[in-house]
Amino acid sequence: MSLGFAFLFLVLFVQFFLIQIVRRKTLGYRAIGQWTRELPVVAQRGVIRDRNGVVLAGNLPTYTVYVRRNAVEDKERVIEVLSELFSIEREELRAKMQKSVSEFAVARQISKEQAERLNGYSLKGVYYAPDAKRVYPYESLLCQVLGFTSSDSSGVSGLEKYYDDYLKGKDGEILYETDLVGVDVGDTLLYREATAGLDLTLTVDYKIQTIAERVMEQAYVSSGAKNAECLLLDLDSFGILAMASFPSYDLNEVPRDDISLLTSLSRNGLVSNSYEPGSTFKVVTAAANLQEYLNGNPNAFSPSYIFSASRTRSVDGTTVKCWSDHSNGKHSHQTIAEALNNSCNPCFTDMALSLGSECFYSYLDKFGFGKTTGIDFPGEALGMLLPSVTVRNCDLARIGFGQSVAVTALQLACAVGAAVNGGNYYVPHLVSGIGDVTVKPELKSHPIGEEASSFLRSMLEGVVRDGSGKKAFIDGYRIGGKTGTAQKYENGHIASGKYVSSFVGFYPADNPKTLVLVIIDEPQGAYYGSVVAAPCAKEIFSGIIALEEG
Amino acid sequence: MFRSLKLFKGDKPLLFSVVGMSLFGVLMVYSASYYNAQITYGDALFFVKKQLVGLAIGLVGMLFFSMTDYRKLKKGGLPFLIVSLVLLALVFVPGLGKSNYGATRWIGVGPITIQPSELAKYAFVLFSAGYMAKDPARMRTFRGILPVLLSGGATCALILIEPNMSVTMCVGLLMLSLLFLGGMKLSCFFSLCVPVLIAVPVLILIEPYRLKRLMAFLDPWASPTGEGYQLIQSLYALGNGGWFGTGLFASRQKYRFLPFAESDFILAIIGEELGYVGIFCFFLLAAFIVWRGFVLSSRCKDAFGYLLGVGITLVYGIQVVVNAMVVSGTIPPTGLPLPLVSAGNTSLIVTLCSFGLLSSLGK
Repeated sequence: MSLGFAFLFLVLFVQFFLIQIVRRKTLGYRAIGQWTRELPVVAQRGVIRDRNGVVLAGNLPTYTVYVRRNAVEDKERVIEVLSELFSIEREELRAKMQKSVSEFAVARQISKEQAERLNGYSLKGVYYAPDAKRVYPYESLLCQVLGFTSSDSSGVSGLEKYYDDYLKGKDGEILYETDLVGVDVGDTLLYREATAGLDLTLTVDYKIQTIAERVMEQAYVSSGAKNAECLLLDLDSFGILAMASFPSYDLNEVPRDDISLLTSLSRNGLVSNSYEPGSTFKVVTAAANLQEYLNGNPNAFSPSYIFSASRTRSVDGTTVKCWSDHSNGKHSHQTIAEALNNSCNPCFTDMALSLGSECFYSYLDKFGFGKTTGIDFPGEALGMLLPSVTVRNCDLARIGFGQSVAVTALQLACAVGAAVNGGNYYVPHLVSGIGDVTVKPELKSHPIGEEASSFLRSMLEGVVRDGSGKKAFIDGYRIGGKTGTAQKYENGHIASGKYVSSFVGFYPADNPKTLVLVIIDEPQGAYYGSVVAAPCAKEIFSGIIALEEG
Repeated sequence: MFRSLKLFKGDKPLLFSVVGMSLFGVLMVYSASYYNAQITYGDALFFVKKQLVGLAIGLVGMLFFSMTDYRKLKKGGLPFLIVSLVLLALVFVPGLGKSNYGATRWIGVGPITIQPSELAKYAFVLFSAGYMAKDPARMRTFRGILPVLLSGGATCALILIEPNMSVTMCVGLLMLSLLFLGGMKLSCFFSLCVPVLIAVPVLILIEPYRLKRLMAFLDPWASPTGEGYQLIQSLYALGNGGWFGTGLFASRQKYRFLPFAESDFILAIIGEELGYVGIFCFFLLAAFIVWRGFVLSSRCKDAFGYLLGVGITLVYGIQVVVNAMVVSGTIPPTGLPLPLVSAGNTSLIVTLCSFGLLSSLGK
């Protein structure tokens, strides 16, 4: 009998050893979850600043108030105090407390003062934890680029979305020791600080952005257009200096209830929309021709070559026409420079056809058409470029002056930028610094050399001084540029009376630092880029010059 | 002083360990129950007070029985058995019986509740010891062991329909052990095992909850919030204890996570607060009590005293082992208190009295 009991006790010694010592860790991991209740400490989202440190997106420290029903001692008092402090309906609160099994948030984004007042009541079962509210000090400024966050602070659009992983940080938590049903049995067990997200430094300049937005708003109002937008590029690095689009919206009052309105207002068309560029594209054709000429390609035209004065060219049985009827004599006896001044279509048809699809397409490729630029922004469009193997001469003839091709504003800006800055195509970017790390500009391609670029600059300076870009001319300053007017297509047909007027310009013309691309979508009345878009560029340049000169 | 008063006649090592165990029980009942008692009864000392009352009565009873000549009890077996069977039956009388957790195990008269099954175990021991000692030779025949089988069977049956499976099993084990010690032939012993082996699966199949419990015992994590909950919480408590425990009063599991923390599962709280070392010491003390019980029994010159002593010791020993096996998930969970330690007056008083009697053996 004693032996039997000795054996049984031995079994128990072993059994308890296995549980208490051997399985201790695994059991502990499972048990710890039931001993605590946790509340999130929301991480401060990274701040977004312009290149000079101006805060464009910041945070307002707030708190979220939670109730854990089972830990509430005096239910009526809790309802009374909370309903008074945060103006919540008593019955609503009562119903919520009836239903909930664990913690629920009763009030979000309350101020520090409110939290302190709540603390004064020392209500059992009521807790508050740090939260943050995203605030945009300049409201609608740069709204399509910055984007907005959801109510739980995750990026939904724009840079807030693209850099969400960096911006969001890591939430901390407050652990409370509770009994089975959630009644606190000790003090706060653990306060794990949140790790704030990384700050972003943009290439955007707040002051330039402000100028761009003001000019676009005026253009929108005066032209009656559907949309007025512009893009400014730093030609040394392809950092975006400004991206403005009107109409816009207040980032602090995002119209979340109207999805279609929100989608259209928050879309950054400069990156996400494709359009037929028209004559601004001639810069690219001219650049390709000049570089080939310098390379000694016999099919390229020299800067002194005089193009045929005929208004039409016949290609593959179709006829390509100039927008002008050539009746005033301006379009006769033209060199490349004059063809650019007059924006004479047939001359660029000649250049594209003469270079041939293989050669011309190699330039289009190096200038980044038909593919994304790689900008650090969500939703970039590809544009539309016919594949080189299927492109016909009649297509090539039109691509030469910017038809039968669709581009994004960003693609065009970068291509023209690379054509005039000495031939350096960088990856365009909005962010120059993440936390302490500086993002270095990345050279993507080298479509043309400095000599061809220099030829082109002087020709485009001539366009502003003497040609169709006159309305962008500022006396005493050297500005180069090119206008563009394209008809819009709807369902595969030309939509009558609908145009995209644009102007791409750069300054200073001899050593370009800044590029401006203005696009006015469907202006009412006057629609030529030279009339509608060029004056906007002039105003923007004036503003930049004023800034530079203090 | 005690010696001069001749009050303290019993075996001191046994009595001191038993009293020590009971005091330890009061301490652990306090630790395991104060949080729950405050919430449920508004009095943190609710269970402790009851336990202290039980301890006081039990000590008086123990003292009384330690001075009683056990031989005088020889004839009391049958009446005591009848009384206990009647009490067991009274449980089912509406108005008298008290139900808890779906089982009717208590008789309530005014503020006093007693658990007849606690008495029945000892009544059966007393009756069997008396019967078997009277004529040891008849135990060689089946007819001879029949009264023991009938009394044990009746006790088991009444406890089983309360229902209280675990106490039934304990009484069954007790009966087999006593019959064996009384000189029953091995062939009889094995033929008795057959109906038991058949009865267990049948009993399990009758009550669906038993099957569920059995499954939960095999894999508690299959239903962590259902049948497996009790065992999981017990394992959490033990695991949390580790080598040296969280410290007295520092259990986490007593905050309503572990049901029956102050009664059937108090060993889990002991393991949590005092660690494996504490559990080890507890088992050493319990084993010492059992060993001492056997020693004292074997010192008896007469068969009645020997069988009575072993019976009392077995009642205690079997319960400790079964309870510890339940708490550690070695066998399926059943509701069985840890004698001398778990909250529960009837068990404490009766156990203390039985040890009083045991301590007087061999004098």
